[in-house]
Amino acid sequence: MTKSMREATLQTIGLGSVLEIFQRGKLPAEASEMVDRVFGDAEQRGSLVISGAQGIVGSGKAMQLGSRLYRFGVPVVGIDFPGVPDGISKHYPGLVRAFGRDGANEIMGSIIQLHYDGAHLPAELSHFRPRFLLEAIPEILSIKKAHYEIFRGSFPDIEIRSVTSGFPSSELGVGIAHPAFPHEINKVWEIVEPEPSAVTQLLWSVGLMPIPVSDHWSFVLDVLFCGLTLAGLRYHDASNMPFWKIDKLVRKLVGPNPFRAHDAIGAKGANFLTWSCLHHLAEQYGEVFRPTALLEERKETGENWYPPNHFRPLVDWKLDDAGEEEFRTWILGPVFQMASLLVHEKRSHLSNLNAIGELCAQFRRGVLAMIREEGADSAIAIVEAYHQRDPQAAGAAWFPDAFGAVDEVDWQQLYVNAEHDGQVGVITLSRESYNSDVNHELNRALDWLRTEGIERLILTGDFHLSTQMVGADTSEFFPALENAEVGALIANEWSKTARRLHTDFSTSVGFINGKRCLGGMLELMMHCHYVVATEGADLGMPEVTLPVVPGMEGCHWPFRKAGTEDWPKLIVLLLVGRSIKAGDGVGWLIDAAASMDEALRTVWSIATDGDHGMPRRLLEEGALAGVPKEARDLPAASTPEAEAARQAILDCIDQACGTTLAEALGTQAEHSAGFMISPACRKGAIGAMYKKTMAV
Amino acid sequence: MHEENLMLPKARIPFGTWGSSYFPAWQTSALAEVNIGQFAGEAMNRIMGIRGVSNREIEYLVIGSTVPWHWKFWNAPLVASCMGHRVPGYHVEQACATGLQAVLLGGAEIQSGAHEVVGVLTFDRTSDSPVGVFPERRAHQRTVPIADVWDNFGFDPATGKAMIAAAGKSARKYKLDRREVDELAFYRHQQYFEAKESGFLDRVLVPLDILNVSGRPLGRIDDDLGVRPLSRDAMRAMAELDTCVTSGTQTHASDGMATLLVTTKDRVPDFSPRPEIDIQFVAKTEVRTDPSLMPEAPALAVQKLLSTSGLSMADMAVVKNHNPFAVNDAIFSQLLDYD
Repeated sequence: MTKSMREATLQTIGLGSVLEIFQRGKLPAEASEMVDRVFGDAEQRGSLVISGAQGIVGSGKAMQLGSRLYRFGVPVVGIDFPGVPDGISKHYPGLVRAFGRDGANEIMGSIIQLHYDGAHLPAELSHFRPRFLLEAIPEILSIKKAHYEIFRGSFPDIEIRSVTSGFPSSELGVGIAHPAFPHEINKVWEIVEPEPSAVTQLLWSVGLMPIPVSDHWSFVLDVLFCGLTLAGLRYHDASNMPFWKIDKLVRKLVGPNPFRAHDAIGAKGANFLTWSCLHHLAEQYGEVFRPTALLEERKETGENWYPPNHFRPLVDWKLDDAGEEEFRTWILGPVFQMASLLVHEKRSHLSNLNAIGELCAQFRRGVLAMIREEGADSAIAIVEAYHQRDPQAAGAAWFPDAFGAVDEVDWQQLYVNAEHDGQVGVITLSRESYNSDVNHELNRALDWLRTEGIERLILTGDFHLSTQMVGADTSEFFPALENAEVGALIANEWSKTARRLHTDFSTSVGFINGKRCLGGMLELMMHCHYVVATEGADLGMPEVTLPVVPGMEGCHWPFRKAGTEDWPKLIVLLLVGRSIKAGDGVGWLIDAAASMDEALRTVWSIATDGDHGMPRRLLEEGALAGVPKEARDLPAASTPEAEAARQAILDCIDQACGTTLAEALGTQAEHSAGFMISPACRKGAIGAMYKKTMAV
Repeated sequence: MHEENLMLPKARIPFGTWGSSYFPAWQTSALAEVNIGQFAGEAMNRIMGIRGVSNREIEYLVIGSTVPWHWKFWNAPLVASCMGHRVPGYHVEQACATGLQAVLLGGAEIQSGAHEVVGVLTFDRTSDSPVGVFPERRAHQRTVPIADVWDNFGFDPATGKAMIAAAGKSARKYKLDRREVDELAFYRHQQYFEAKESGFLDRVLVPLDILNVSGRPLGRIDDDLGVRPLSRDAMRAMAELDTCVTSGTQTHASDGMATLLVTTKDRVPDFSPRPEIDIQFVAKTEVRTDPSLMPEAPALAVQKLLSTSGLSMADMAVVKNHNPFAVNDAIFSQLLDYD
């Protein structure tokens, strides 16, 4: 029997638990099987039809889905009115960049473009056996409904999903697959359907992220992003602060810059969509969503929010402490209130709700993680302070009780889950980059498994919200650029957590199943007794390129597990920062690399003490002798800062390897923190991002 | 004063809805680098924000400046767009006392019933003034370049004299004594520094941070650079440029902006933190003087105003004279018997 801290998000799309994936030794849905289920078998293969295919959404999705389905012989038929601007062809250069010219040509060759008059489907359409319609036509309910009738009239069994920007499924009469911008690359789709369908599981099986949400007006992403925009508009009304400055402060506080995003997407369309979303939400939920007069105006004019280039801002707006507090209230107040509505309505699994803001709206941390850190009482106080400034917003759609469960496990484990079957535990990470939230949650998950008496552990991504492991969340390092003690604290705490993978379990296996595992995430994984990867995964330590010195024991831990003959490879990995393929790291960086199914079986075999035939690479706990003090024949460092980082990393390797395991954690943390306050680090990517994001 | 005696009985200046930048001297600050029209619009927005006035409330904008600026052609609506709220408006320019005239015209917009809330914004930048190339039939090139500030300061085409010559001529007409003018200018300096020391100027002047094109800090405008304490001895030691005119007895060429709001009596409580303070438009006039005698004109105008309004100098709580030259104040004192 499987027991878990909370429900896995994978279960919300009907694909079972992560533990079951390892138990079965295969993924719960294979793309080829799902294609057969949705489009028919190879002999009778049907097509995907995208209506409104030349629009921003339709054309983007034609690229995203076309590039994934052409290998299975599924044609994408794009239909639109004659004379509309060509939205599909303009994606061709992007396809070439991603897939090469031959690949791009092959994908474009699978996309058929047809025209229709809106009332009659083209006769040729039936030749392509339409099985699935993705509707991306304008947001007019009656037109959408008539559109579905036309298709059902000709193709009674066709599956239909609308990409609608706000109508509930109950109004449309079809399921919803609402994608996030930018449509050609963003993997997230908010799904509305009574039960997880084959279409949804197909999306998952081809590497996308379907996220089920409840059937309400608008979507989680839109509530958060449009809500944040509205918060900025309200603050503008209260203060006159220009939008460019509001954007900078919102980015510092939350992460996104909503007004720049509108201009970048195209203010004419984006202003209207934001207004439309808020207008419908206001009709449904009240004044907290009511568009301001300025938004009403600009949805008509399509005017940009930023000044034109020849009027780059001259007069800065600086806030004192009281001003910053005021700003915080105006921005977080409505966003927290809107989040209370999302939680109250149970719009989705809390991890899903939280992740959508990060994955689609550039939230540095998900809104629920922000509320959790704030604490329920403080979050409620912020909303109430906002209501003092905007009393109309207090009238409806405010559910402070929704924050009452903030101490319960669903709120506490937004990014990390744990499951076990009584023998083997699986810890899943739902976040692609490691931050303090993940660190705390991982510790709680480890505690829980230990309390449950689990001795064998698998650490992996969650097979849903996290499709890769990119390393540490570098925004966590911003305070460390000013204060070495903060940097040392981060490195110490995170390393201690990582060491638990080595010390707290009799067997631990790290499984790398995404596209890549880099930096801090790779350091974390390396603390497991075994590391298994899918063969195509990229592994690397890109810290030197940022530049930083690795903080989670990357400068000594892998040396302690590798043979002396492999130490030069580790030096190159650390000093050049270039990734290697998983297969090339077997034996000195990881323990095995294989196809997905084989890798899953290997992991399970290790975890269950099966006959996997792999010796455990032992960890040398004493001081290491003979670790190279220099690296030869390296390509030249790209910048003086990278050169400085190389030297700092070499020093760290020398010092951390030259001491005992017990001492090395502190040594590595000290070196990492020390470099973080150096001019070289501040001049690098993190320093630049810090300056851009926080020093405003 | 009874409303029937006011020149613009419907118009009010809401107490506290005003502000100004500091005025650093020519070429001494980041303002030397900017389009002053854009700066003025953005600074007005900032100041109104600090005063709690939403720029969305402003229906019309009267701007005033004398030195041409980039894209001046597009006038008040352009400056308003830099303020963050594009509204109609116009530009007024009269070299001296443009600010006063702009406020009066703002009041006239209210009085006419055309608008309920009018912004008034004046600004100028003497640094790096533009050079215009004008047709000139006397020149063999048929054109002549004129540096707007210095060539005009130095030559009034109507009289053929420089501005400074008008001050000297007026001083001679009124038989002013250099020591008296020096003393008066010294006293004005003392008043300025006392006001600064007391914090009075902080109620009006707003420090403003200027960004370069990359969005990085270019400078902070937080002082009237160029105005420095002077001793009596230093004042007396200065070279006399014309009669009673030294560099210490004339104002400094500088860059900056100032703004205020004009509205109806009914709307004052919507904007003012002290609505009980009723700031009215009582009267205005101008007078004509002989050529190159501008410094006596303000005093003569006040004499005329007092005679038409029935007021006396005893009714005045605060007097501010137009005084680019200390000579102006000395003449005012003499003609109005006002110390």
